[in-house]
Amino acid sequence: MLVSPLSDPRSGFSCLAYGQCGTALRRLLLLALLALTASAFALSTAASYGAAAQTAKKSGLLKEDSRDCMRCHWMETMAYRDRETGKIVNLSIDRDAYRHSVHHELACSDCHDRGYSHYPHRTSSADEALQCVECHEEREDDGAPNLVGLHHEYEKSVHVTEEVEDFSCFSCHNPHTFHPVSAGESIAQVVAETNGTCLDCHTELLTPVPKGHEWLPRPQAHWGSVRCLDCHTPLEGRITERPSHNVLAAEDSNQLCVECHSKGSALLSQLYNYRTEQARDEKGFFAQAIYNDAYIVGMTRNPWMDWIGLGVILLMILGVAAHGYARYRFHREQETSK
Amino acid sequence: MTAFYLYPLWLRLWHWLNALIFVTLLVTGVSMHFTLNWLIPFDVAVPIHNTAGVLLTGSWLLFVIGNLWGGNGKHYLINLRTLPKDLIAQTRYYLHGIFVGAPHPFHVSAEHKLNALQTLSYVGVMYGLMPVLILSGWAFLFSTSLPETLFGIGTVWIIAIVHLVVAWMLALFLIVHSYIITTGETPTTNLKAMVTGWHKEQSSG
Repeated sequence: MLVSPLSDPRSGFSCLAYGQCGTALRRLLLLALLALTASAFALSTAASYGAAAQTAKKSGLLKEDSRDCMRCHWMETMAYRDRETGKIVNLSIDRDAYRHSVHHELACSDCHDRGYSHYPHRTSSADEALQCVECHEEREDDGAPNLVGLHHEYEKSVHVTEEVEDFSCFSCHNPHTFHPVSAGESIAQVVAETNGTCLDCHTELLTPVPKGHEWLPRPQAHWGSVRCLDCHTPLEGRITERPSHNVLAAEDSNQLCVECHSKGSALLSQLYNYRTEQARDEKGFFAQAIYNDAYIVGMTRNPWMDWIGLGVILLMILGVAAHGYARYRFHREQETSK
Repeated sequence: MTAFYLYPLWLRLWHWLNALIFVTLLVTGVSMHFTLNWLIPFDVAVPIHNTAGVLLTGSWLLFVIGNLWGGNGKHYLINLRTLPKDLIAQTRYYLHGIFVGAPHPFHVSAEHKLNALQTLSYVGVMYGLMPVLILSGWAFLFSTSLPETLFGIGTVWIIAIVHLVVAWMLALFLIVHSYIITTGETPTTNLKAMVTGWHKEQSSG
Protein backbone atom coordinates (compact mmCIF):
# COMPACT_ATOMS: atom_id res chain seq x y z
CA MET A 1 0.00 0.00 0.00
CA LEU A 2 1.22 3.42 -0.91
CA VAL A 3 1.34 5.89 1.88
CA SER A 4 1.13 9.57 1.21
CA PRO A 5 4.13 11.41 2.60
CA LEU A 6 1.73 13.94 3.98
CA SER A 7 0.15 11.34 6.16
CA ASP A 8 3.50 10.11 7.33
CA PRO A 9 4.09 11.60 10.76
CA ARG A 10 7.81 11.53 10.12
CA SER A 11 7.51 14.00 7.28
CA GLY A 12 5.17 16.83 6.42
CA PHE A 13 5.45 20.54 6.59
CA SER A 14 6.10 20.46 10.27
CA CYS A 15 9.61 19.35 9.58
CA LEU A 16 12.16 21.43 11.31
CA ALA A 17 15.34 20.61 9.58
CA TYR A 18 15.84 21.72 5.95
CA GLY A 19 17.13 18.32 4.95
CA GLN A 20 14.04 16.52 6.19
CA CYS A 21 11.77 18.93 4.37
CA GLY A 22 13.71 18.35 1.11
CA THR A 23 13.24 14.58 1.37
CA ALA A 24 9.50 14.95 1.85
CA LEU A 25 9.22 17.21 -1.19
CA ARG A 26 11.22 14.80 -3.32
CA ARG A 27 8.89 11.98 -2.28
CA LEU A 28 5.90 14.12 -3.13
CA LEU A 29 7.30 14.88 -6.56
CA LEU A 30 8.16 11.24 -7.13
CA LEU A 31 4.65 10.21 -6.26
CA ALA A 32 3.12 12.83 -8.53
CA LEU A 33 5.37 11.60 -11.32
CA LEU A 34 4.30 8.02 -10.67
CA ALA A 35 0.64 9.01 -10.74
CA LEU A 36 1.16 10.88 -14.02
CA THR A 37 2.99 7.96 -15.61
CA ALA A 38 0.29 5.54 -14.47
CA SER A 39 -2.50 7.65 -15.92
CA ALA A 40 -0.57 8.18 -19.15
CA PHE A 41 -0.01 4.42 -19.40
CA ALA A 42 -3.70 3.79 -18.74
CA LEU A 43 -4.63 6.29 -21.43
CA SER A 44 -2.24 4.87 -23.99
CA THR A 45 -3.37 1.31 -23.23
CA ALA A 46 -6.95 2.35 -23.72
CA ALA A 47 -6.04 4.07 -26.95
CA SER A 48 -4.14 1.09 -28.30
CA TYR A 49 -6.95 -1.20 -27.23
CA GLY A 50 -9.33 1.04 -29.12
CA ALA A 51 -7.06 1.00 -32.17
CA ALA A 52 -6.79 -2.78 -31.94
CA ALA A 53 -10.54 -3.07 -31.72
CA GLN A 54 -10.84 -0.85 -34.76
CA THR A 55 -8.24 -2.87 -36.66
CA ALA A 56 -10.06 -6.01 -35.63
CA LYS A 57 -13.07 -4.72 -37.47
CA LYS A 58 -11.03 -4.17 -40.60
CA SER A 59 -8.42 -6.90 -40.65
CA GLY A 60 -9.54 -10.33 -41.76
CA LEU A 61 -6.68 -11.86 -39.83
CA LEU A 62 -8.28 -10.87 -36.57
CA LYS A 63 -11.54 -12.58 -37.39
CA GLU A 64 -12.29 -15.53 -35.20
CA ASP A 65 -11.59 -18.33 -37.68
CA SER A 66 -8.40 -16.64 -38.85
CA ARG A 67 -6.94 -16.62 -35.37
CA ASP A 68 -6.54 -20.39 -35.42
CA CYS A 69 -4.57 -20.12 -38.66
CA MET A 70 -2.45 -17.25 -37.45
CA ARG A 71 -1.41 -19.16 -34.33
CA CYS A 72 1.13 -20.80 -36.62
CA HIS A 73 1.27 -18.75 -39.80
CA TRP A 74 2.40 -15.50 -38.21
CA MET A 75 5.79 -17.06 -37.53
CA GLU A 76 8.48 -15.89 -39.93
CA THR A 77 10.07 -19.32 -39.97
CA MET A 78 6.85 -21.07 -40.98
CA ALA A 79 7.91 -23.06 -44.04
CA TYR A 80 8.48 -26.52 -45.41
CA ARG A 81 10.66 -28.09 -48.02
CA ASP A 82 8.76 -29.42 -50.99
CA ARG A 83 9.66 -33.08 -51.44
CA GLU A 84 9.46 -32.99 -55.22
CA THR A 85 11.20 -29.76 -56.05
CA GLY A 86 13.34 -29.54 -52.93
CA LYS A 87 12.48 -25.85 -52.65
CA ILE A 88 11.53 -24.13 -49.43
CA VAL A 89 7.86 -23.11 -49.49
CA ASN A 90 7.20 -20.10 -47.33
CA LEU A 91 3.95 -20.37 -45.35
CA SER A 92 4.46 -17.33 -43.19
CA ILE A 93 1.98 -14.46 -43.38
CA ASP A 94 3.40 -10.99 -42.78
CA ARG A 95 0.58 -9.51 -40.71
CA ASP A 96 1.67 -5.96 -41.32
CA ALA A 97 1.91 -6.39 -45.07
CA TYR A 98 -1.44 -8.18 -45.08
CA ARG A 99 -3.05 -5.35 -43.18
CA HIS A 100 -1.96 -2.96 -45.96
CA SER A 101 -2.93 -5.28 -48.80
CA VAL A 102 -6.10 -5.03 -50.89
CA HIS A 103 -7.37 -8.27 -49.34
CA HIS A 104 -6.97 -7.13 -45.76
CA GLU A 105 -10.67 -7.46 -45.00
CA LEU A 106 -10.78 -11.10 -45.94
CA ALA A 107 -10.46 -13.86 -43.38
CA CYS A 108 -8.21 -16.81 -44.25
CA SER A 109 -11.22 -19.06 -44.85
CA ASP A 110 -12.71 -16.62 -47.36
CA CYS A 111 -10.22 -17.95 -49.88
CA HIS A 112 -8.82 -21.13 -48.30
CA ASP A 113 -12.23 -22.63 -47.77
CA ARG A 114 -11.67 -26.36 -47.75
CA GLY A 115 -9.37 -28.99 -46.35
CA TYR A 116 -7.80 -26.88 -43.67
CA SER A 117 -9.95 -27.96 -40.74
CA HIS A 118 -7.52 -30.75 -39.90
CA TYR A 119 -4.22 -30.16 -38.30
CA PRO A 120 -1.65 -30.94 -39.54
CA HIS A 121 -3.18 -30.10 -42.91
CA ARG A 122 -3.40 -32.87 -45.43
CA THR A 123 -1.05 -32.65 -48.37
CA SER A 124 -4.07 -32.54 -50.68
CA SER A 125 -5.05 -29.21 -49.12
CA ALA A 126 -2.25 -27.53 -51.01
CA ASP A 127 -3.86 -28.49 -54.32
CA GLU A 128 -6.66 -25.96 -53.89
CA ALA A 129 -7.39 -24.16 -57.14
CA LEU A 130 -7.60 -20.47 -56.25
CA GLN A 131 -9.01 -18.44 -59.11
CA CYS A 132 -8.50 -14.68 -58.88
CA VAL A 133 -10.72 -13.82 -61.86
CA GLU A 134 -13.68 -15.96 -60.76
CA CYS A 135 -13.44 -14.89 -57.15
CA HIS A 136 -13.36 -11.22 -58.15
CA GLU A 137 -16.39 -11.72 -60.38
CA GLU A 138 -18.32 -13.36 -57.57
CA ARG A 139 -17.45 -10.58 -55.20
CA GLU A 140 -17.96 -7.71 -57.58
CA ASP A 141 -20.84 -6.44 -55.46
CA ASP A 142 -18.47 -6.20 -52.51
CA GLY A 143 -16.20 -3.89 -54.52
CA ALA A 144 -13.78 -6.44 -55.97
CA PRO A 145 -12.54 -5.04 -59.31
CA ASN A 146 -13.44 -7.08 -62.38
CA LEU A 147 -10.38 -8.84 -63.74
CA VAL A 148 -11.84 -10.27 -66.93
CA GLY A 149 -10.28 -7.67 -69.25
CA LEU A 150 -6.99 -8.09 -67.50
CA HIS A 151 -7.28 -11.86 -67.92
CA HIS A 152 -7.76 -11.46 -71.68
CA GLU A 153 -4.58 -9.43 -71.82
CA TYR A 154 -2.78 -12.00 -69.72
CA GLU A 155 -3.86 -14.82 -72.05
CA LYS A 156 -2.05 -13.07 -74.92
CA SER A 157 1.07 -12.50 -72.87
CA VAL A 158 4.34 -14.25 -73.54
CA HIS A 159 4.02 -16.02 -70.21
CA VAL A 160 1.00 -17.90 -71.58
CA THR A 161 1.87 -18.21 -75.28
CA GLU A 162 5.31 -19.55 -74.45
CA GLU A 163 3.67 -21.95 -71.99
CA VAL A 164 5.83 -21.06 -69.05
CA GLU A 165 5.52 -23.90 -66.56
CA ASP A 166 3.24 -23.36 -63.56
CA PHE A 167 2.65 -19.74 -64.44
CA SER A 168 -0.36 -18.12 -62.80
CA CYS A 169 -1.44 -14.84 -61.21
CA PHE A 170 0.48 -15.90 -58.13
CA SER A 171 3.76 -16.06 -60.05
CA CYS A 172 3.83 -12.27 -59.95
CA HIS A 173 1.23 -11.26 -57.36
CA ASN A 174 1.26 -12.28 -53.74
CA PRO A 175 -2.38 -11.94 -52.66
CA HIS A 176 -1.27 -11.59 -49.04
CA THR A 177 0.74 -8.45 -49.75
CA PHE A 178 -0.69 -7.05 -53.00
CA HIS A 179 -1.64 -3.40 -52.85
CA PRO A 180 -2.14 -0.71 -55.51
CA VAL A 181 0.25 2.21 -55.89
CA SER A 182 -0.42 4.64 -53.10
CA ALA A 183 -0.18 8.40 -53.50
CA GLY A 184 2.72 8.74 -51.07
CA GLU A 185 5.00 6.40 -52.99
CA SER A 186 7.75 7.95 -55.07
CA ILE A 187 8.24 7.03 -58.72
CA ALA A 188 11.49 5.30 -57.82
CA GLN A 189 9.67 3.16 -55.24
CA VAL A 190 6.89 2.20 -57.65
CA VAL A 191 9.38 1.37 -60.37
CA ALA A 192 11.61 -0.63 -58.02
CA GLU A 193 8.64 -2.56 -56.71
CA THR A 194 7.12 -3.47 -60.07
CA ASN A 195 10.48 -4.22 -61.68
CA GLY A 196 11.36 -6.33 -58.65
CA THR A 197 8.43 -8.58 -59.54
CA CYS A 198 9.90 -9.23 -63.00
CA LEU A 199 13.47 -9.59 -61.76
CA ASP A 200 12.46 -12.11 -59.12
CA CYS A 201 12.22 -14.64 -61.96
CA HIS A 202 14.35 -13.01 -64.66
CA THR A 203 17.50 -13.14 -62.56
CA GLU A 204 19.61 -13.49 -65.73
CA LEU A 205 18.98 -9.76 -66.26
CA LEU A 206 20.66 -8.75 -63.02
CA THR A 207 23.86 -7.65 -64.76
CA PRO A 208 25.22 -4.16 -65.47
CA VAL A 209 24.32 -4.50 -69.17
CA PRO A 210 21.40 -6.93 -69.18
CA LYS A 211 21.07 -9.39 -72.03
CA GLY A 212 18.94 -8.05 -74.88
CA HIS A 213 19.17 -4.49 -73.54
CA GLU A 214 22.53 -3.62 -75.11
CA TRP A 215 20.81 -1.12 -77.42
CA LEU A 216 19.45 0.83 -74.48
CA PRO A 217 21.73 3.67 -73.32
CA ARG A 218 22.37 3.68 -69.58
CA PRO A 219 20.16 0.66 -68.85
CA GLN A 220 20.45 1.01 -65.08
CA ALA A 221 19.30 4.64 -65.21
CA HIS A 222 16.35 3.60 -67.34
CA TRP A 223 15.46 0.79 -64.98
CA GLY A 224 15.48 3.20 -62.09
CA SER A 225 12.78 5.38 -63.63
CA VAL A 226 10.90 3.21 -66.13
CA ARG A 227 8.97 0.06 -65.46
CA CYS A 228 9.82 -3.06 -67.47
CA LEU A 229 6.13 -3.06 -68.39
CA ASP A 230 6.38 0.39 -69.97
CA CYS A 231 8.30 -1.13 -72.88
CA HIS A 232 7.23 -4.76 -72.63
CA THR A 233 3.50 -4.24 -73.16
CA PRO A 234 1.71 -3.12 -76.34
CA LEU A 235 1.31 0.56 -77.07
CA GLU A 236 -2.36 0.27 -78.00
CA GLY A 237 -5.20 0.16 -75.54
CA ARG A 238 -3.33 1.41 -72.51
CA ILE A 239 -5.23 2.76 -69.55
CA THR A 240 -3.95 4.90 -66.72
CA GLU A 241 -5.31 2.81 -63.89
CA ARG A 242 -3.10 -0.24 -64.36
CA PRO A 243 -0.41 -1.60 -66.64
CA SER A 244 -1.37 -4.05 -69.35
CA HIS A 245 -0.98 -7.74 -68.51
CA ASN A 246 -0.14 -8.60 -72.10
CA VAL A 247 3.58 -8.92 -71.51
CA LEU A 248 5.36 -8.94 -74.86
CA ALA A 249 8.24 -11.12 -76.01
CA ALA A 250 11.60 -9.37 -76.29
CA GLU A 251 11.41 -9.13 -80.08
CA ASP A 252 7.94 -7.53 -79.98
CA SER A 253 8.74 -5.01 -77.28
CA ASN A 254 9.07 -1.28 -77.85
CA GLN A 255 12.53 -0.05 -78.73
CA LEU A 256 11.64 3.38 -80.09
CA CYS A 257 13.26 6.02 -77.88
CA VAL A 258 10.92 8.69 -79.17
CA GLU A 259 7.90 6.92 -77.76
CA CYS A 260 9.09 7.93 -74.33
CA HIS A 261 11.19 10.95 -75.11
CA SER A 262 8.46 13.07 -76.61
CA LYS A 263 5.24 14.81 -75.82
CA GLY A 264 2.16 12.70 -75.36
CA SER A 265 4.33 9.68 -74.87
CA ALA A 266 2.13 6.63 -74.89
CA LEU A 267 4.78 4.52 -73.19
CA LEU A 268 5.20 6.80 -70.24
CA SER A 269 1.68 8.11 -69.99
CA GLN A 270 0.53 5.74 -67.27
CA LEU A 271 3.31 6.44 -64.88
CA TYR A 272 3.60 10.01 -66.10
CA ASN A 273 0.06 10.91 -65.12
CA TYR A 274 0.83 9.63 -61.70
CA ARG A 275 4.09 11.55 -61.67
CA THR A 276 2.31 14.77 -62.66
CA GLU A 277 -0.09 14.53 -59.75
CA GLN A 278 2.73 13.76 -57.40
CA ALA A 279 4.85 16.64 -58.69
CA ARG A 280 1.95 19.00 -58.17
CA ASP A 281 1.64 17.86 -54.58
CA GLU A 282 5.34 18.06 -53.87
CA LYS A 283 6.61 20.98 -55.91
CA GLY A 284 3.52 23.13 -56.18
CA PHE A 285 1.72 24.45 -59.21
CA PHE A 286 4.43 26.73 -60.59
CA ALA A 287 7.23 24.18 -60.72
CA GLN A 288 4.81 21.67 -62.20
CA ALA A 289 3.84 24.18 -64.87
CA ILE A 290 7.47 24.68 -65.83
CA TYR A 291 8.32 21.00 -65.83
CA ASN A 292 5.09 20.11 -67.51
CA ASP A 293 5.47 17.48 -70.22
CA ALA A 294 9.20 17.41 -69.65
CA TYR A 295 11.03 14.84 -71.66
CA ILE A 296 14.66 13.90 -71.64
CA VAL A 297 15.82 14.60 -75.17
CA GLY A 298 15.10 18.31 -75.43
CA MET A 299 13.28 18.15 -72.13
CA THR A 300 11.40 21.31 -72.91
CA ARG A 301 8.03 20.11 -74.05
CA ASN A 302 6.22 22.93 -72.40
CA PRO A 303 3.12 23.72 -74.48
CA TRP A 304 3.10 27.36 -73.35
CA MET A 305 6.65 27.94 -74.56
CA ASP A 306 5.85 26.27 -77.85
CA TRP A 307 2.75 28.36 -78.39
CA ILE A 308 4.57 31.57 -77.54
CA GLY A 309 7.48 30.63 -79.80
CA LEU A 310 5.26 29.64 -82.71
CA GLY A 311 3.09 32.71 -82.15
CA VAL A 312 6.06 35.08 -82.32
CA ILE A 313 7.35 33.35 -85.46
CA LEU A 314 3.93 33.54 -87.08
CA LEU A 315 3.53 37.21 -86.20
CA MET A 316 6.95 37.91 -87.67
CA ILE A 317 6.07 36.10 -90.89
CA LEU A 318 2.81 38.02 -91.11
CA GLY A 319 4.66 41.24 -90.34
CA VAL A 320 7.25 40.84 -93.08
CA ALA A 321 4.57 39.61 -95.49
CA ALA A 322 2.52 42.75 -94.83
CA HIS A 323 5.65 44.89 -95.15
CA GLY A 324 6.51 43.21 -98.43
CA TYR A 325 2.99 43.63 -99.74
CA ALA A 326 2.97 47.33 -98.84
CA ARG A 327 6.28 47.78 -100.66
CA TYR A 328 4.89 45.98 -103.68
CA ARG A 329 1.80 48.22 -103.69
CA PHE A 330 4.00 51.33 -103.47
CA HIS A 331 6.18 50.03 -106.28
CA ARG A 332 3.10 49.35 -108.48
CA GLU A 333 1.70 52.80 -107.76
CA GLN A 334 4.98 54.37 -108.77
CA GLU A 335 5.10 52.32 -111.94
CA THR A 336 1.59 53.34 -112.93
CA SER A 337 2.17 57.01 -112.11
CA LYS A 338 5.18 56.95 -114.43
CA MET B 1 26.36 52.56 -111.54
CA THR B 2 28.48 51.72 -108.55
CA ALA B 3 29.99 48.34 -107.76
CA PHE B 4 31.87 47.21 -104.69
CA TYR B 5 33.53 43.85 -104.23
CA LEU B 6 32.19 43.37 -100.71
CA TYR B 7 32.25 39.62 -100.19
CA PRO B 8 35.45 37.69 -100.90
CA LEU B 9 35.14 34.05 -101.92
CA TRP B 10 35.95 32.63 -98.50
CA LEU B 11 33.27 34.79 -96.94
CA ARG B 12 30.62 33.76 -99.47
CA LEU B 13 31.51 30.10 -99.09
CA TRP B 14 31.36 30.47 -95.34
CA HIS B 15 28.01 32.27 -95.51
CA TRP B 16 26.29 29.65 -97.62
CA LEU B 17 27.86 26.76 -95.76
CA ASN B 18 26.79 28.34 -92.47
CA ALA B 19 23.29 28.86 -93.87
CA LEU B 20 23.08 25.23 -94.98
CA ILE B 21 24.22 23.98 -91.57
CA PHE B 22 21.86 26.31 -89.77
CA VAL B 23 18.82 25.34 -91.85
CA THR B 24 19.70 21.67 -91.34
CA LEU B 25 19.85 22.24 -87.60
CA LEU B 26 16.59 24.13 -87.65
CA VAL B 27 14.70 21.48 -89.63
CA THR B 28 16.09 18.55 -87.63
CA GLY B 29 15.61 20.47 -84.39
CA VAL B 30 11.98 21.26 -85.17
CA SER B 31 11.45 17.66 -86.22
CA MET B 32 12.88 16.40 -82.92
CA HIS B 33 11.19 18.98 -80.76
CA PHE B 34 7.72 18.40 -82.18
CA THR B 35 8.37 14.70 -82.92
CA LEU B 36 7.50 15.24 -86.58
CA ASN B 37 8.39 11.80 -87.77
CA TRP B 38 6.88 12.56 -91.17
CA LEU B 39 9.41 15.37 -91.62
CA ILE B 40 12.52 13.54 -90.52
CA PRO B 41 12.35 10.32 -88.48
CA PHE B 42 13.64 10.87 -84.97
CA ASP B 43 16.48 8.36 -85.19
CA VAL B 44 17.69 10.05 -88.38
CA ALA B 45 17.22 13.59 -87.07
CA VAL B 46 19.29 13.07 -83.91
CA PRO B 47 22.63 12.10 -85.53
CA ILE B 48 22.18 14.72 -88.27
CA HIS B 49 21.43 17.42 -85.69
CA ASN B 50 24.40 16.44 -83.56
CA THR B 51 26.75 16.31 -86.54
CA ALA B 52 25.49 19.62 -87.93
CA GLY B 53 25.94 21.10 -84.44
CA VAL B 54 29.60 20.12 -84.43
CA LEU B 55 29.98 21.53 -87.95
CA LEU B 56 28.31 24.78 -86.88
CA THR B 57 30.91 25.08 -84.13
CA GLY B 58 33.65 24.78 -86.76
CA SER B 59 31.84 27.27 -88.95
CA TRP B 60 31.55 29.76 -86.12
CA LEU B 61 35.26 29.42 -85.36
CA LEU B 62 35.99 30.07 -89.04
CA PHE B 63 33.86 33.21 -88.85
CA VAL B 64 35.78 34.45 -85.81
CA ILE B 65 39.14 33.64 -87.43
CA GLY B 66 38.03 35.28 -90.67
CA ASN B 67 37.03 38.40 -88.78
CA LEU B 68 40.24 38.52 -86.80
CA TRP B 69 42.64 37.88 -89.66
CA GLY B 70 40.61 38.18 -92.85
CA GLY B 71 39.85 41.87 -92.45
CA ASN B 72 36.09 41.30 -92.21
CA GLY B 73 35.95 42.18 -88.52
CA LYS B 74 35.86 45.93 -89.13
CA HIS B 75 32.27 45.66 -90.36
CA TYR B 76 31.15 44.45 -86.95
CA LEU B 77 32.56 47.35 -84.98
CA ILE B 78 29.74 49.33 -83.49
CA ASN B 79 30.14 53.09 -83.51
CA LEU B 80 28.48 53.90 -80.23
CA ARG B 81 28.56 57.64 -80.90
CA THR B 82 26.50 57.50 -84.08
CA LEU B 83 24.56 54.33 -83.23
CA PRO B 84 21.36 55.87 -81.77
CA LYS B 85 20.99 58.34 -84.65
CA ASP B 86 21.72 55.68 -87.28
CA LEU B 87 19.36 53.20 -85.67
CA ILE B 88 16.51 55.67 -85.59
CA ALA B 89 17.13 56.68 -89.19
CA GLN B 90 17.28 53.06 -90.34
CA THR B 91 14.16 52.04 -88.40
CA ARG B 92 12.24 55.05 -89.72
CA TYR B 93 13.25 54.10 -93.21
CA TYR B 94 12.00 50.49 -92.83
CA LEU B 95 8.76 51.56 -91.18
CA HIS B 96 7.96 54.60 -93.29
CA GLY B 97 10.50 55.87 -95.81
CA ILE B 98 10.57 52.64 -97.79
CA PHE B 99 6.87 53.09 -98.63
CA VAL B 100 7.17 56.67 -99.79
CA GLY B 101 10.29 56.39 -101.88
CA ALA B 102 12.55 58.12 -99.38
CA PRO B 103 16.29 57.75 -100.07
CA HIS B 104 18.02 54.93 -98.22
CA PRO B 105 19.71 56.43 -95.14
CA PHE B 106 22.74 54.17 -95.50
CA HIS B 107 25.02 53.78 -98.46
CA VAL B 108 27.07 50.68 -98.94
CA SER B 109 30.78 51.23 -99.34
CA ALA B 110 33.86 49.06 -99.18
CA GLU B 111 34.46 50.38 -95.67
CA HIS B 112 30.87 50.03 -94.44
CA LYS B 113 28.84 47.26 -95.93
CA LEU B 114 26.41 46.95 -92.99
CA ASN B 115 23.96 49.54 -91.77
CA ALA B 116 23.51 50.20 -88.04
CA LEU B 117 20.61 47.77 -87.66
CA GLN B 118 22.49 45.08 -89.54
CA THR B 119 25.63 45.59 -87.50
CA LEU B 120 23.75 45.42 -84.24
CA SER B 121 21.74 42.34 -85.18
CA TYR B 122 24.71 40.49 -86.70
CA VAL B 123 26.89 41.21 -83.68
CA GLY B 124 24.05 40.09 -81.41
CA VAL B 125 23.55 36.91 -83.40
CA MET B 126 27.14 35.91 -84.10
CA TYR B 127 28.77 37.01 -80.85
CA GLY B 128 25.77 36.75 -78.52
CA LEU B 129 23.24 34.10 -79.46
CA MET B 130 25.40 31.78 -81.54
CA PRO B 131 27.99 31.04 -78.82
CA VAL B 132 25.16 30.37 -76.34
CA LEU B 133 23.46 28.05 -78.82
CA ILE B 134 26.70 26.22 -79.53
CA LEU B 135 27.72 25.92 -75.87
CA SER B 136 24.29 24.68 -74.83
CA GLY B 137 24.39 22.19 -77.70
CA TRP B 138 27.74 20.84 -76.53
CA ALA B 139 26.42 20.72 -72.99
CA PHE B 140 23.68 18.41 -74.28
CA LEU B 141 26.24 16.14 -75.87
CA PHE B 142 28.16 15.88 -72.61
CA SER B 143 25.24 16.22 -70.24
CA THR B 144 26.22 13.07 -68.34
CA SER B 145 29.43 14.80 -67.23
CA LEU B 146 27.57 17.80 -65.86
CA PRO B 147 26.24 18.10 -62.32
CA GLU B 148 22.71 16.79 -61.82
CA THR B 149 21.38 20.11 -60.63
CA LEU B 150 22.28 23.77 -60.96
CA PHE B 151 20.76 26.25 -58.47
CA GLY B 152 18.47 23.44 -57.38
CA ILE B 153 17.08 22.93 -60.88
CA GLY B 154 17.94 20.05 -63.18
CA THR B 155 20.99 21.08 -65.23
CA VAL B 156 19.78 19.40 -68.41
CA TRP B 157 16.50 21.24 -68.14
CA ILE B 158 18.24 24.62 -67.86
CA ILE B 159 20.39 23.77 -70.87
CA ALA B 160 17.37 22.60 -72.81
CA ILE B 161 15.43 25.79 -72.13
CA VAL B 162 18.40 28.00 -73.06
CA HIS B 163 19.00 25.98 -76.24
CA LEU B 164 15.34 26.18 -77.19
CA VAL B 165 14.87 29.88 -76.50
CA VAL B 166 18.04 30.82 -78.39
CA ALA B 167 16.98 28.54 -81.25
CA TRP B 168 13.60 30.30 -81.41
CA MET B 169 15.36 33.67 -81.49
CA LEU B 170 17.73 32.57 -84.24
CA ALA B 171 14.82 31.19 -86.27
CA LEU B 172 13.26 34.62 -85.91
CA PHE B 173 16.50 36.20 -87.10
CA LEU B 174 16.52 33.92 -90.13
CA ILE B 175 13.03 35.09 -91.16
CA VAL B 176 13.89 38.76 -90.73
CA HIS B 177 17.28 38.32 -92.40
CA SER B 178 15.73 36.55 -95.40
CA TYR B 179 13.26 39.37 -95.82
CA ILE B 180 15.53 42.31 -95.14
CA ILE B 181 17.93 41.30 -97.90
CA THR B 182 15.13 42.03 -100.36
CA THR B 183 15.09 45.69 -99.31
CA GLY B 184 18.12 46.62 -101.38
CA GLU B 185 17.90 48.71 -104.49
CA THR B 186 16.08 45.83 -106.14
CA PRO B 187 14.77 42.81 -104.26
CA THR B 188 17.70 40.71 -105.49
CA THR B 189 20.54 43.23 -105.20
CA ASN B 190 21.77 41.92 -101.87
CA LEU B 191 21.22 38.27 -102.72
CA LYS B 192 23.24 38.63 -105.91
CA ALA B 193 25.99 40.34 -103.93
CA MET B 194 26.30 37.35 -101.61
CA VAL B 195 26.53 35.05 -104.65
CA THR B 196 28.91 37.01 -106.85
CA GLY B 197 30.68 39.08 -104.23
CA TRP B 198 29.85 42.29 -106.09
CA HIS B 199 27.39 44.81 -104.69
CA LYS B 200 26.01 46.68 -107.69
CA GLU B 201 23.67 49.66 -107.63
CA GLN B 202 22.30 51.57 -110.59
CA SER B 203 22.05 54.85 -108.73
CA SER B 204 25.26 56.33 -107.49
CA GLY B 205 23.77 56.70 -104.06
